[in-house]
Formats: sequence, structure tokens, C-alpha cells
Amino acid sequence: MIKFEKVVKRYNDKDQPAVDELDLHIGKGEICMLVGPSGCGKTTTMKMINKLIKATSGKIYIDGQDIEKVDPIKLRLDIGYVIQDTGLFPHMTIAENIATVPQEKGWDRNKIRNRVDELLELMDLDPENFRDKKPKDLSGGQKQRVGVARALAADPPIMLMDEPFGALDPITRGKLQDEFLRIQEKIGKTIVFVTHDIDEALKMGDKIVVMRDGKVVQFGSPTEILSEPADDFVSELIGGNSNLKMMKLMKCKDIMREIPYVEATTTTEQALKVIKESDVNNLLVTEHGQKLLGYVSIGMLYRNENKIVGDFVRPIGETATPKTTLQDVLSDMFALGRKTIFVSGMKGRVDGIVTMDDLLKAVRDDDQTS
Amino acid sequence: MKTLEFAIERWETILGLTIDHFEIVLTAMVISITMGVLVGIMITYNKTAAKIVLNIANVMMTIPSLALFSILIPLLGIGRAPAIAGLVLYTQLPIIRNVYTGIMNIEPSIIESARGMGLKKSKIMFKVKLPLAFPVIMTGVRTATVMGIGLGAIAAYIGAGGLGQYIFQGINRGNDKMILIGAIMVSVITVVIDRGLAFVQKRFEI
Repeated sequence: MIKFEKVVKRYNDKDQPAVDELDLHIGKGEICMLVGPSGCGKTTTMKMINKLIKATSGKIYIDGQDIEKVDPIKLRLDIGYVIQDTGLFPHMTIAENIATVPQEKGWDRNKIRNRVDELLELMDLDPENFRDKKPKDLSGGQKQRVGVARALAADPPIMLMDEPFGALDPITRGKLQDEFLRIQEKIGKTIVFVTHDIDEALKMGDKIVVMRDGKVVQFGSPTEILSEPADDFVSELIGGNSNLKMMKLMKCKDIMREIPYVEATTTTEQALKVIKESDVNNLLVTEHGQKLLGYVSIGMLYRNENKIVGDFVRPIGETATPKTTLQDVLSDMFALGRKTIFVSGMKGRVDGIVTMDDLLKAVRDDDQTS
Repeated sequence: MKTLEFAIERWETILGLTIDHFEIVLTAMVISITMGVLVGIMITYNKTAAKIVLNIANVMMTIPSLALFSILIPLLGIGRAPAIAGLVLYTQLPIIRNVYTGIMNIEPSIIESARGMGLKKSKIMFKVKLPLAFPVIMTGVRTATVMGIGLGAIAAYIGAGGLGQYIFQGINRGNDKMILIGAIMVSVITVVIDRGLAFVQKRFEI
């Protein structure tokens, strides 16, 4: 989708280039995080995509087209742009702000009005309430939401985001990050996201580009960056607790194990046989292969000889979803005082199980490879 | 009280001169504002040009008004033309300077986001920069207009007419009442116009 080929940017002939022979490929629908210390060239890299900064040499392609040949105005109208200070126009209402690009594109009034309302709703801002407000009447978080809505207005395939959540307090920032990830699931934009916060990069990114002195130090998925930092610079950037950070990235669906089903009428002996053949210590119990009654554990089976499992089945209780992070599962386990937790993506169904051992193993495995 | 009676007796003359005065200043200000805003906008695109233009406008203001009007006589003769030209030159600085600083002081992030979204240079100027700089520009326009009305009185010296004429005649004849009436009328116009402009400025404030 976006491709850099040996791109160089020099602000000054004598100085070291801000971006040095950069090669980069950003796939369609990916969030690509550019991360690194100030002056590493990440913002310059991003701004070369919409030609706010002109590359000194090298080529940048969007969808195979050399952007040098595209008129900058036309190029920018199809690329959403969000910056840290929001850059909202203070003299215009929220609706007018969001309508900026659609207006430039010559949409008709009704279409613009509907689009503005749709975006405000997407951003969790009540259109009735916010449409006619001015930016100064909004909180920092609300302004940033409007900033994102404005960038999305004409439904551009690409979004450039320059530390969009950088000026917000940690709680609002976390909330907006979660919201944005949820929205991205729906809209699937190709996003280039600049940040200096490695935790934000790990949380938001499909791919992470770690930059230093205008060069790419490492390019990879968050798990790759965490488990195999390319050098000391990257390790230092990640900081300590990389195992704990890994737990934030990995989801239940990555490590959960499937559990066999048995009928409620199964005898204890038969159930024990099933459980020993599997690699788990629990069985799910169903009625007529349809309704989920609950579970039995290996311990319960030993204590209840010569019975059918339906007699002592226990309800499932609290579950995690396949998308719950390992960190949250661990904290649920502590809260519930249990060593196992069932994973359920839908009510009345269990997809698998995660145990404390699974968690330890998941983290330890990655530890050994580093 | 005698002054008031004096004024009432000669109200037609005074009104005529007031209208004259108003016309001269108005013409000068329309030209001055148009020129000043255009020049002010143009120099925001070029730092060197800005420096040169602002310096010239600055020097212009340091020339004594009487001298400036006199210099214009050989070029434009006497009467309204040199008076208006003098007023225009004299009132350029506050307008150009405020247009320039008003635009240059807009938060860079606002301009950056406008550029990033794909607005053309002219669109950014008319949709973003000028509306945001408007309060500052209006302050410059008000300063210039107030200056212009006051200076308009001196323009009578080169035969432009207006209230200055009444004041000069008063001085020549040793008639305090005429001086007083002329001065009061200049002040009245100044206050009325300034209030009016302040109202416009308020209406369009963000």
C-alpha cells in the first residue's frame, strides 16, 4: 500500500540526514507504528507520505503510484491527517470542522450533514449536542475525537496520525486508544502512526518500525519486537518487564486449549477415560449434545465414583473472551481465586480453557527465545 | 453657552465641513485598508519582503504629517487628492503590521492541519488565516481610522477642506469658539466611528 524506496531527507547539506536511505513497506489495512526518540526522523518519514515534507531523494509509492507525480492537494484530500494539537479550526463549529474535506471534494450538503452525524456517533459524541459547538467548548479528549472524525470524513484509505493521543492524560489516552482500535476493526484503514511511547506502539501496532538517527533499527510485529529486540537500543526502548508487556499483547485465543465434551449421562469411569486421553483436566458437560450444563474436573471425577457426570456437574461461572489479554486473565484468576478460567466468545458456549500453567508457559517460551 | 449658540447659528456650515471631513477620511480609509490588507497578506509569504515593507511603513509614520502633506503638493497639487494620498500613506503601518502579525501568530498546528488535509493556499488564507486574524486586523484598522480622522484636520492646511479648515480659520481670526467647535466635532466623529468598528469587531469575534 505504502512503499518507501531508499528515501533520504536532508534539511541541510552539512548535517546528517533526518531520514537516511529508508526502505519500508506498509501493508493495506495495517496500523504501522513509527516509534523512536525525538529527532529520529519518524515525523519526517510520516510527513513525506502526504508531501508536507519533500523527500530529497528516493521514491515513495502509494498503491504502486509514485507520489512525486501526484498533485499534493489531490494526494492530501485522500489521506486523513491527525496531529497532536488537533489543529481544529477554532472559528468553525465541530460540524464545519468535520465537513472540511468533504466540502473540498464537492459533496452535496445533505450527504455532508449525514456524514458528520455518522462520524460524531462513531466517535461517541452526541450529534445533537456537539454539532454546533466550537472547539473551545470541548475537553482535550473530545477535541481529539473530533480531530479523528475530521480526518475520517471523506473516508480516505490512508490515515497519518502524529502522536494524536500524546497530549492527553493517561486515562483518557488509554480510553481513546481502545476506542480507536475498535473503530479500526470496522474501518480497516491503512494507518501510519507516529509515537515516542513504546507502550502505545506495542498496544496499537500491527507492525512497529523502531527508528533511530533516520534509520530503521527494527521492523516487525509487537511480539517480534518484544521477544527478539534487534539490539540494545531496542531493548532499552522496551524497558524492563518485557514478559509482562507480552502478556498485554497475547490474547486468550493464542494459548487456550480445547476441551472435550461429554453427555450428562456419561459415567464417571468413561469420563475419566476421555479426560486422560486429552491434555486438559476438565470436561464440558452437555445435555443432548446441545445445551451446555457446566464442567467437571478430574478431581471431581475421582471423588464421585460410580455416578454419572450429570449428578455433580458444576456451572461454568466467570469466563474470559477469546480477545481478553493474558494480563487481564491473570488478574481475573487472582480476583476469583481460581487457577483455570474458561474462554467463551458467546453465551452458552465454551471455546477453550486457560490455566495458570498455560500463562506461565506462554511467557516462559518467549523468554527462552530471546 | 456662547459657543453652543455660535454653533447653532452656523450649523449648516459646520455640518457641511463635518461631511467633507468624513468623506475625505472615508475615501482614504477605504483605499488604505484595501492596500494595507493586500500588502499585509502578500508579505506573509516572504520574510525578506515583510522586513522591507514593515520598515518603509514605519519610516512613513515618523515623517511629520505637515511635511508629508507638503511634499505631496508638487506631485498632486492642492485639495483633496494630496490629502487623501497623505492619509493613505500615513495609516498603512498599523494595518499592514496587524494583518502581518495577526496571520503570522496563528497557531502553527492549525495551519499544518489545514495543509495536511489538502486545502489550497488560497483556501487556507480565506477560510482559515483571515478569519482567525480578523480581530487583530480590526484592531489595526481601528487605530488607523482614529489616526486618519485626527490627521484629516491637518489636511485642511493643503486645502482639503473639512473640519480642519474651521479650526485653522479660528486660529487665524483668534476665534476660540471656532477652534473649540472644530475640535469637538473631530472628536465626535472619532468616537462614533471607533465605537462602530468596535461593534463590528465584537460581532465577528470567535
